[in-house]
Amino acid sequence: MKSFVRIHALAANTFREAIRNKLLYALLAFSVVLIGAGVLLASLSYVEVDEILQDMGMAAIRLFSAGIAMFVGAGLVHNEVDRRTVFTILSKPVSRSEFLIGKWAGLTVTVWLQLVLMAMAFAAVSSLAGAPVELEHGLAIALIGLELMVVVAIATLFSCFTTPMLASFYTFGLWLIGHLSRDLYLLGQQSDQPSVPGLSAALYAVLPDFEVFNKTLEAVHGLPIRGDEVGFAALYAVGYSGVVLVLASTIFARRDLK
Amino acid sequence: MSKRWIQVGLFVASVGCAGWAHDRLPISPEAGSGQGFLPNPEHARALAVGFDAILADYHWLRAVQVVGSAPSVDPERAEHLGRLVDVVTTLNPHVDHPYRFAAIWLTHDEDQVREGIRLLRRGTQHHPEDWRNYFYLGFEQFFYLGEYELAAESLEKAMARDGAPPYLARLVARLKAQSGDIDVAEVFLREMLRNTVDPEDRARLQIALDEIELEYKARLLDRARAAYRVAAGRDIRSVEELIRPPHRMLEKLPSPEPDAIPVALARGSRWKIDPRTRRIVTSYLGRRYEVHLSPSDRARLAQWKESKRGGRAADTDTTPDASANRDAGGVR
Repeated sequence: MKSFVRIHALAANTFREAIRNKLLYALLAFSVVLIGAGVLLASLSYVEVDEILQDMGMAAIRLFSAGIAMFVGAGLVHNEVDRRTVFTILSKPVSRSEFLIGKWAGLTVTVWLQLVLMAMAFAAVSSLAGAPVELEHGLAIALIGLELMVVVAIATLFSCFTTPMLASFYTFGLWLIGHLSRDLYLLGQQSDQPSVPGLSAALYAVLPDFEVFNKTLEAVHGLPIRGDEVGFAALYAVGYSGVVLVLASTIFARRDLK
Repeated sequence: MSKRWIQVGLFVASVGCAGWAHDRLPISPEAGSGQGFLPNPEHARALAVGFDAILADYHWLRAVQVVGSAPSVDPERAEHLGRLVDVVTTLNPHVDHPYRFAAIWLTHDEDQVREGIRLLRRGTQHHPEDWRNYFYLGFEQFFYLGEYELAAESLEKAMARDGAPPYLARLVARLKAQSGDIDVAEVFLREMLRNTVDPEDRARLQIALDEIELEYKARLLDRARAAYRVAAGRDIRSVEELIRPPHRMLEKLPSPEPDAIPVALARGSRWKIDPRTRRIVTSYLGRRYEVHLSPSDRARLAQWKESKRGGRAADTDTTPDASANRDAGGVR
């Protein structure tokens, strides 16, 4: 219980710090502009206008929220070490694991908040343009939120042992791979080489699979999103984030901060 | 000269230089037609990294630009449009209109039509309850390829779906008759009639059955005419010759009107040889029971079939001359 209180305090502090970051507001503003620009883009087509408008909105939400998670998350631990504030925190009865989890939780809440703001902009633009806003849109955006949770965990991991610049690149790389891992797996299963299907299956198990969080097409085209898929995706996100945070804690625990 | 004037001079010279050079750079023709880089559909899907939908929209907007407001597009643009729609529908198979949009424009040659059909089939997989993709599929098969049996199958699937227009039943029956099997057409129409409640739809189906009855009779006369040719060594000059000596082929001519028509409503129709097609027709209908294509469309269909046969013959030509030609690198 005490551990939870400490993590909560760290998360609240991280949240306060993160919302002071000007980059966050710049990206948020761009995303809202892009969501609105969907109206212009959709007007270039004479059919599927609502779909184009909402595809654009969903793409903007995914792109900018992932960008915020990556670029703000990449400096999460490094900045604390760089400014030496980590010593102040760790001199108190706070373990390094609690510190990391608190940082991760704080940033996750921050990106979720900006996700809610983007979703509101999306709903407003859709409603003004006369495009339907259904429960499926909400589920698709909630799934993006789960994806962000994992992205922040990965950014936290890299932030533990490298510079913000490199951490951003690594996180971005893993995010890209995460969207390709399913295809890599399917490609590997078709190989004639006996070792390749096993290897691709192993990689698929280790690498993140971000496509489980991608239900944009279903939401925009009014197709049903199954509740069990959302449930399993949520469990997957919690599990994968847990694994990454344990790994991050192990690395951070061994790191010489002097 | 002051420093400021030097700056102004440099600025004006730079603007002039840039403008002069820019005017001399050609605008790529691809830019005008919306053409340009086009990824392999599967690669595009794999590399979309979660942005499949917006990338599909981007390529769709490019496809729309290819056509623009032009009433027609040339074969190259149509082909490019087909590839764009292939990318669109691979990235986002849930789109609706692009399948039919591609089929409308991919009509310059048989390969294009077959590509349109492939895309429409993909559309039917992802929108199995939409009658329109089946309808377009049937139309392409019947109108551009003359594949009447396949067209009838596709249109039958369209008919079975909500929203399909009621006239499709008659078109399907006609296609079935065109593909040679008039009995199948009749059975199909009788089955439709049995399951139809709406009086207007029933009346339409009854008209189609009357047309089939007259086609049966016309085919009987065709057979008699063929026998007459053999016996007399010449073609008939009028249909009545079939019941006149010396080469009498029939006891009497069948009624040129449907048997079910009451005497009071009889129109006094007669059998005649159509001066344009030289086929036996009843003046009750003025034509035979088949799908109607304009002479230019018939000519186009025949030309495609001919070129296909020619292409196949070239591919499969195993005569010694052809082998020698191939061995000599095609140069004789």
